Amino acid sequence: MTTTAASKKTRRRRAFSRGDRFTLAMFLGVPTFLHVVWVWIPAIATIGLSFTYWNGVSLSNIRWAGLANYDTIFTASPQFYDALRNNTYWLLWFTLIATPLGVLLAYQIDRKIRGSKIYESVYYIPVVLSLAVIGIIWKFMLGPGGLVQALLGYPEIERAIPIFSNYDINTYVILGIASWRHIGYIMLLYLAGLKSVDPSLREAAAIDGATEWQTFRKVVFPAMKPVNTIIIVITVIESLRAFDLIYIIYGTSTGWPILGMLVFVNIYGQAASMLGAAYAVILFLLSIIPIVFYLRTVFRDDVA
Amino acid sequence: MSNEVTENGVSRRTVLKGAALGGLGLVGGGTLLSSCGDDKATGPVTFTARTNDETGLKIAQALADAYKAETGIDVTMQGSGDTNAFQDGISQYLQGTPDDVFQWMAGFRTNFRADQGLLADLSENIKNLGDQMPEGFISGATNPSDGKQYIIPTTWYPWGLHYRKSTMKELGLDPENIATWDDFMKLLEGTQKKGLIGYAMGDKGGWEAMGTFSILNVRINGYDYHIDLLNGRKKWTDQATIDVFNQFALLIPYMNKNFLDISWDGMRDLLLAKKCGAMMMGSWWANDFKAKSQEDYDDLWIVPFPEINPAYGRDSIDAPVDGVSVAANGANVEGGKQFAEWIGSEAGMLAAQAAGDTSLYANSRLDTSEYDAFNKQKLAVIGEAKNVMNFLDRDCRNDFAGTIVGPAIQNFLKAPKDVNKIVDGMQEAWDALPPLE
Repeated sequence: MTTTAASKKTRRRRAFSRGDRFTLAMFLGVPTFLHVVWVWIPAIATIGLSFTYWNGVSLSNIRWAGLANYDTIFTASPQFYDALRNNTYWLLWFTLIATPLGVLLAYQIDRKIRGSKIYESVYYIPVVLSLAVIGIIWKFMLGPGGLVQALLGYPEIERAIPIFSNYDINTYVILGIASWRHIGYIMLLYLAGLKSVDPSLREAAAIDGATEWQTFRKVVFPAMKPVNTIIIVITVIESLRAFDLIYIIYGTSTGWPILGMLVFVNIYGQAASMLGAAYAVILFLLSIIPIVFYLRTVFRDDVA
Repeated sequence: MSNEVTENGVSRRTVLKGAALGGLGLVGGGTLLSSCGDDKATGPVTFTARTNDETGLKIAQALADAYKAETGIDVTMQGSGDTNAFQDGISQYLQGTPDDVFQWMAGFRTNFRADQGLLADLSENIKNLGDQMPEGFISGATNPSDGKQYIIPTTWYPWGLHYRKSTMKELGLDPENIATWDDFMKLLEGTQKKGLIGYAMGDKGGWEAMGTFSILNVRINGYDYHIDLLNGRKKWTDQATIDVFNQFALLIPYMNKNFLDISWDGMRDLLLAKKCGAMMMGSWWANDFKAKSQEDYDDLWIVPFPEINPAYGRDSIDAPVDGVSVAANGANVEGGKQFAEWIGSEAGMLAAQAAGDTSLYANSRLDTSEYDAFNKQKLAVIGEAKNVMNFLDRDCRNDFAGTIVGPAIQNFLKAPKDVNKIVDGMQEAWDALPPLE
């Protein structure tokens, strides 16, 4: 008995030829190695550095600071709360306005309304641009001397109205610009999901006399659970990791502070503390919650 | 011109190549570094101009060309791209594969990096320049922690009120005679009444308005108070500091409303287009006026900021010293030092001048009697001041100036009523800074 079991085991092991083993090693080993080197080591180093004072130059200058950097952020950095507020606005706006709009568009396009292909392309175009490019485009449009300024009747630089620096409107302006891309992105993801929903489900609902809204809420939406999860996670992560758009429009002067920008300006060369690392850890902790949620859902689906 | 473009292309590729090699790991990086160390001082030199401005790049290229003509050594010049990004990231840049020589600023920005071992010691080269380098510039370039120099001073400029003579003449105003704050207010009012911007402001970069803050502080509280404040010996929450902000608030009604949407170059363009009266700024961009036309340049003038507190009169001025530094980590440190020394020498400064540089030069061989009228005025503006400052972000540690003072002044300009909250935040941030080592 034992011998047969053992020989079976060996035989199964032998089922992997040398070529297979090489392929496996390459496909598993190389990505794992790169992942550890480029993601895990820097992440762990950042967490460690967030408890130190260091100017980023010579390793011998690192000094233990305990929780001092976090203390500074929570008690002596008014910008932190501004940034937290702006990130929260961003998150709320994306969750309550931009993402539902994207879903709505996807639903309408999926119903094959007239010209749906054109709408699809139009809404999708901003998605191919990076947020940095989008920032440049809108900076030129809305900034002094820009097209929008001219249309509003203020073509001269000295008369141009403040848009990005006007605290009454700039939050909406920034979020509007970010949504320009986000809506198309969500639309595309949702459209792909909708196409995979079995049409007979809808037909059955229609035969049972369900209204359009009831069909969506009770039949289509639950059937789209995996896509919904992905969209929620994407919305949360996009809102938290926002950086490039703000950097292009405001530079490092933190005209509209967000957490990603505070990480950057506090780590970028000038500091004697590791405040930037501490900001990065805070951002990391905020982002990990939706990621864990996402992974749990995905793995549960895989097992089922 | 075509030559310049190719040279830029080559140098950018070299930088990219260096970055790629660095990515391959420590072994590759090590070989790269050791092989570089063997280069002789006669090898080619790389040079970063701290500008992305057309005029500035033209002058830097002229320096490279003149050096090549004189010594036969190739110099590859490239612009720094966005100057704010270059300045913020200088520590990272110097730890990577930096160009040998780069244009830089005296003061904290140099000394801090020198203390980290990122800059090459240029004391020998300063000595070689001998009597060409006046004592005042040497002491301004000396790092207090070790008494050595890590920058070769080349040019300097005053911060003052710039205006166009023709504009003021049309308005019937006389900026030459603004002795007091009241005179100044009348001037701003007069300008604004004629539909122009009284006090041009563009603080998008976060540093531009520091010039106004500094000059108000030294006018109201004096030089010693200002330096003490920037080094933590006085408090931002002191009434004396709040007074400065309150005085600053008096200028806001005369500013263009979009001051946080434009940067210093927006202010320059306003002045160039005759859209504003006074512009508080350092005069380094006068080259751009000259590049536009001699007429525009001749129309440009500068006067000192008016007196506020008679106890201090007009005894202080921001007059930052610019220069060239050599990266300790460069490929050709010896060659870089020689090129830096040459830039600071009479020959180098004459080459810059010939290329359209209108700066005041540190080098004593350049005859001040041959300066044009605007430069003579700049010298006079500096000359009447007893105390010379380096500008706020060079007199103060960078992790306070850039990350705290800049945004705080921006917030203040947006909501001057919040001054107490803003200075509280600044003081808290200062108190939380770790000691510098």
